[in-house]
Amino acid sequence: MVQRRFSLLAMLLIAALVLAACPQPAPIVQTVQETVVVTSVVTQTETQEVVVTATPEPPTQGGVYIDASSSDATILNPILSSDTASSAVHSKIYPYLIGTDAFSGEIVPSEMAESWSVSDDGLVWTFVLRQDMLWSDGEQVDANDFKFTYDAIAAEAVETPRKSNVELIESIEAVDDYTLVVTFSEVKCDGLSDLGLGILPSHLYAEDFSDIMTSAENEAPSASAGPLVFQEWARDESVSLVRNDTYFRGAPNMDGLIIKTVPDAGARLAQLQTGEIDVLGLQPEQLTTAQLNPDLSVYKFKDDGYAYIALNQANPENPLPGLDEDGNKVEQDPHPILSDLAVRQAIAHALDYDTIINKVYLGQGYPLAANVVPAVEWAYNSDIQPYEFDTELAAQILEDAGWVDSDGDGVREKGDLTLSLNLKTNAGNTTREDLGALVQDQLDSIGFKIDFEAIEFGTMVGEMLGQTYDMVIIGWTGLGTDPNDDAFWRLQFDTPGSGFNFVSFSNDRVDELLRDGLSVPGCAPAERAPYYKEIQQIIHDEIPYVFVTGTIGNIGYTNRWDGIDPGPWSYYWNVEKWTLQQ
Amino acid sequence: MFRYVFRRLLQAIPTLIGVSIISFFLVNSAPGDPILIRTFDPKITEETREILRRQLGLDQPIPIQYISWFTGYSLRPNNVVGEFQSDGVTCRFVALLNTTFCDSGGGIVRGNLGTSISTNQPVWERLVERMPATLELGVAALLASLLLGVPLGVLSAVYQGSIFDNIVRFMAVIFNALPAFWFGLMLIFLFGVVLGWLPTGGRQTVSLTSEFDLVDRLRHLILPTAILAFGGIAGISRFMRTETLEVIRTDYIRTAKAKGLAATSVWFIHALRNALIPLMTILGPSIAGVLTGAVITETIFSWPGMGRLTFSAAVQRDYPMVLGAVMFFSILTILGNLLSDILYGVVDPRVRLS
Repeated sequence: MVQRRFSLLAMLLIAALVLAACPQPAPIVQTVQETVVVTSVVTQTETQEVVVTATPEPPTQGGVYIDASSSDATILNPILSSDTASSAVHSKIYPYLIGTDAFSGEIVPSEMAESWSVSDDGLVWTFVLRQDMLWSDGEQVDANDFKFTYDAIAAEAVETPRKSNVELIESIEAVDDYTLVVTFSEVKCDGLSDLGLGILPSHLYAEDFSDIMTSAENEAPSASAGPLVFQEWARDESVSLVRNDTYFRGAPNMDGLIIKTVPDAGARLAQLQTGEIDVLGLQPEQLTTAQLNPDLSVYKFKDDGYAYIALNQANPENPLPGLDEDGNKVEQDPHPILSDLAVRQAIAHALDYDTIINKVYLGQGYPLAANVVPAVEWAYNSDIQPYEFDTELAAQILEDAGWVDSDGDGVREKGDLTLSLNLKTNAGNTTREDLGALVQDQLDSIGFKIDFEAIEFGTMVGEMLGQTYDMVIIGWTGLGTDPNDDAFWRLQFDTPGSGFNFVSFSNDRVDELLRDGLSVPGCAPAERAPYYKEIQQIIHDEIPYVFVTGTIGNIGYTNRWDGIDPGPWSYYWNVEKWTLQQ
Repeated sequence: MFRYVFRRLLQAIPTLIGVSIISFFLVNSAPGDPILIRTFDPKITEETREILRRQLGLDQPIPIQYISWFTGYSLRPNNVVGEFQSDGVTCRFVALLNTTFCDSGGGIVRGNLGTSISTNQPVWERLVERMPATLELGVAALLASLLLGVPLGVLSAVYQGSIFDNIVRFMAVIFNALPAFWFGLMLIFLFGVVLGWLPTGGRQTVSLTSEFDLVDRLRHLILPTAILAFGGIAGISRFMRTETLEVIRTDYIRTAKAKGLAATSVWFIHALRNALIPLMTILGPSIAGVLTGAVITETIFSWPGMGRLTFSAAVQRDYPMVLGAVMFFSILTILGNLLSDILYGVVDPRVRLS
């Protein structure tokens, strides 16, 4: 409010100066007189009255918003790309069937679909599409565009990592231009998110999908139904987008948006400080610099991710799949040390989470007890307490389980086994490297012998998915709004070399709960919640992961623009309303 | 002379084949999987990855993949695909060898460096895109290194043991030792953030109009050139100092001095010309270096050059891109060395190319 009052006063001052400098004909004088009236109201009254008397002037037009990305986009096609740099660009060009509320993360009818209904058996979804949505070349955005896009994903000629999105879709039917019927082959409560990819303009591609992989549209999209239209892509430098005058929520006020490629994190912060870029996802160590700068604002939110230490429960020398070819459970070769629950409990109690969060994550984290983050409110189990830091208890647990240091070398043994484990993380992520050193220190102090190594990311992913490691520090980000994380725990995803159940977690009850939680008829959150709360309790007790911290995101942005209202699930959701300050 | 060049070029062929074999097997034996790194997402299934691997030919044994990359012919045991022609790929089953040969029309032997996995663009196109930026920075840095490094080295030798000499030598060690990623950030912080004199990175100020602005381009060039040139100046000045010291102890310099020639003409005409000859030998590889780019400097200063392109391709396991770049750089290095040998013959008549 102070700012508004200030800008009105400034306007008055400028108007007065203009008036004094050059006497003009009547209409200008009138405008100035109006402004005077408004200003006097503002200075004398409270907020509500200002709203009532707000000048109906159109928002300021113009200005270019500048974002930065650590890597260049690779391909501007929403069904072919799998990297965040590309989606940062094409998400502003291609429309979506369904929207996500920027604050609650709920699925909302804010995009192509203005309403939808689902059949009683939960398999058939009927979407009614809005009729006021146009491609920037004048064509209508309709049900055929959606059908084309999703049929393309399934087409053999199309190489895409998005094939999984169409796995459970039995058929897609465009009943008419504005009615779409999607039939799933089985009830999957997070199935709607499979429909969340950007939609292509079908009129710009060959009907038989033969040019999807090679179309010039992949590098220079010529039509947009999002807030911005593609203008230019200077590889490894920047992508320029300009205002879409036909955007269905109204043309943006800004002239355009440029996403620069700035690979170095330090250079990105420098550019935010100098105003060369307008927004930056801050790393914890960059937060203070941004907070101390009066030209910047910081938006802080609990992210949909967490950092953890994966504890391999199977023998890294003999990785086995969870199920055989016929779908029968395969007896695992247990990890000689980590299959012992006592060891896992000792590790969970040996870590000083407060120190880790404060010193390593510089306060940008919060203790987490299990695999669902509080951002997914309805499924989060707040009754479970995170493991407490208690080295004596940790040592006692090890003693009781028979792990003792009989030869006085500082490392515990049990029979022929020494309590010696390797711990890996990806080099270059300084937070994880610091965490690794701390974990090594804290575990060594209670009689472990930890061999910590930071290795190149691709190599680490290979070892992790190959299940040839003991412990790995890593994190999940972008877990989304649904608590279903079956890929981490179910037996069918314990496939060495590829599956994401790379800790070889095997628990029949969790398997069952994950399956049932996803197919609750009607998918009402209240009915699904008990499944996920029980899963969290079991995961907490079994400790396949040591949950180190939930992640807190920080976005630093310049104060040059009005109207920015970031939510945890979207920063750009109201980009068309942003205005450059005068 | 032409016979010499021709022979050297012929010799380059086995070298390049060797490079192709070693680099192909090295890249493929490195841990990591190009498909997995692109699909590191629990929502993407293994079936999807299998399809991608098959489409990119990554499901084939490494030697078969090499043959396919090198010659453009992919081999499949038995008559698995039959005889057909589509999308420019011709396949033929050879019963005698019980193998199907598919000709994709590519292959580095035919000058086709392949297609980047990340962007679906031809590798050659991606390299060419980066060339102007790389050349711009590389040439600026090389010029700065020569224009400052040579005189500093000569003067350092002339005033051997003086304060000037000590300062130059001391600074040479310091600048050679400073890591670019740290020094670069310090310069960005000082000149970009604190003083606000220079832009903090990029090749030009981004705008929607993207007009060419020479002053703006030069302002962006200053800091990355400085970082690259500091190392170059340090190296060249030390090299020139040593060479000049050697030359000024020779008889003909003593004679020139004894004849009563002016000091400047002794140093800069007689001494410098002879000291410059060995510089040619280190310039050859530098010319290749100018074209291959500088990974760290390009990263810190958001410079869209070839070093960064290759580095990020390696991180993303974009095998065709990495291998294409390696082949391209090998050719440049071979040509750079050849050029420096030829130049050596030109400036030093005693050296005969044969």
